[in-house]
Amino acid sequence: MRRQSTLFLVLGAAIALMSCARADDAKTAGQYTLLDDQSSQLKADFNRAKGSVRLLFVVDPTCPGCLRGMDDVDKALLSGTSDPRLQTFVVHVPVLEPPPQAKDIAPSATLLHNPHVRHYWNPTGSFGNALTKSVGLKNDKRDVFAWDVWLVYGPEATWDGDLPPRPQLLMHQLWALEGSKEFPHLDRAVFAKKARELLAKLPPQAAK
Amino acid sequence: MGEKRRVIGAVGSAVGLSGFAAALGFCCAAPWAVTLLGVTGAVAFARLAFLLPYALIAAIALLGVGFWFAYRRPAECADRMCVPKSRRALQWVVWIATVMVGALAVIAVSVRVTF
Repeated sequence: MRRQSTLFLVLGAAIALMSCARADDAKTAGQYTLLDDQSSQLKADFNRAKGSVRLLFVVDPTCPGCLRGMDDVDKALLSGTSDPRLQTFVVHVPVLEPPPQAKDIAPSATLLHNPHVRHYWNPTGSFGNALTKSVGLKNDKRDVFAWDVWLVYGPEATWDGDLPPRPQLLMHQLWALEGSKEFPHLDRAVFAKKARELLAKLPPQAAK
Repeated sequence: MGEKRRVIGAVGSAVGLSGFAAALGFCCAAPWAVTLLGVTGAVAFARLAFLLPYALIAAIALLGVGFWFAYRRPAECADRMCVPKSRRALQWVVWIATVMVGALAVIAVSVRVTF
């Protein structure tokens, strides 16, 4: 009888601990920062993480292709590390119709299993336009709105002006950019390799 | 298996496959997948997107099979010793299926190309 009680007690404690952990995950996953049209908070966070390798994803939180990209990068890179020298910024922009809402961020955020991921909600999509200008995302002279794009920045990158800096690597999953040599299609192995190469060059305590 | 069954089986499969292709096209460009399947389901469905061109090719091949059965001269009349039964209804079915497959293929490809 005593054994049974102990067993139930241990089981109960384990279940309670697991629920707490899940609640914490959900809480973290649901957190996001509302971005203004100058992307002020992202700019500040990006510059604060100078010295780290930084990843920037621009996605629509209800776009299955974007979610597949997040899952790919998570499996190839993010879920396998908790290295603070690797910081990830995910900007959620509305592209599809009907447009996504802020509430759609939390479910999509659960795809990334890494403690150093920050999510931003940019309801006007201004960040996509800024990134288009910054990197010159074009299809035969026509601007291509920057979404479903995956960027890697080295430790030296600084965001000085109004526009985000040019990355070391930009990959995409956009039909409008198919065949581009400058901007290759997202390949999770190549993306992860680039990030790891940059990480390998960093001193062990370079993170802030 | 009768001619009617063969034709309907082939063109029915063709329509089904092109519908699947259209769903794949829409999947990566429409938020319904997340609403219906959840995040994990939408990711799994998006992973099937590479099947789109194969589904369309298979649909076209099946339509070809449908046309073959609907328009060929039956074996018992191959020696021209009998008058074949009218297959006008079957031929109509094949042409209607062709229009449906064409429309679904245009939808699948245009949605895919837009994003």
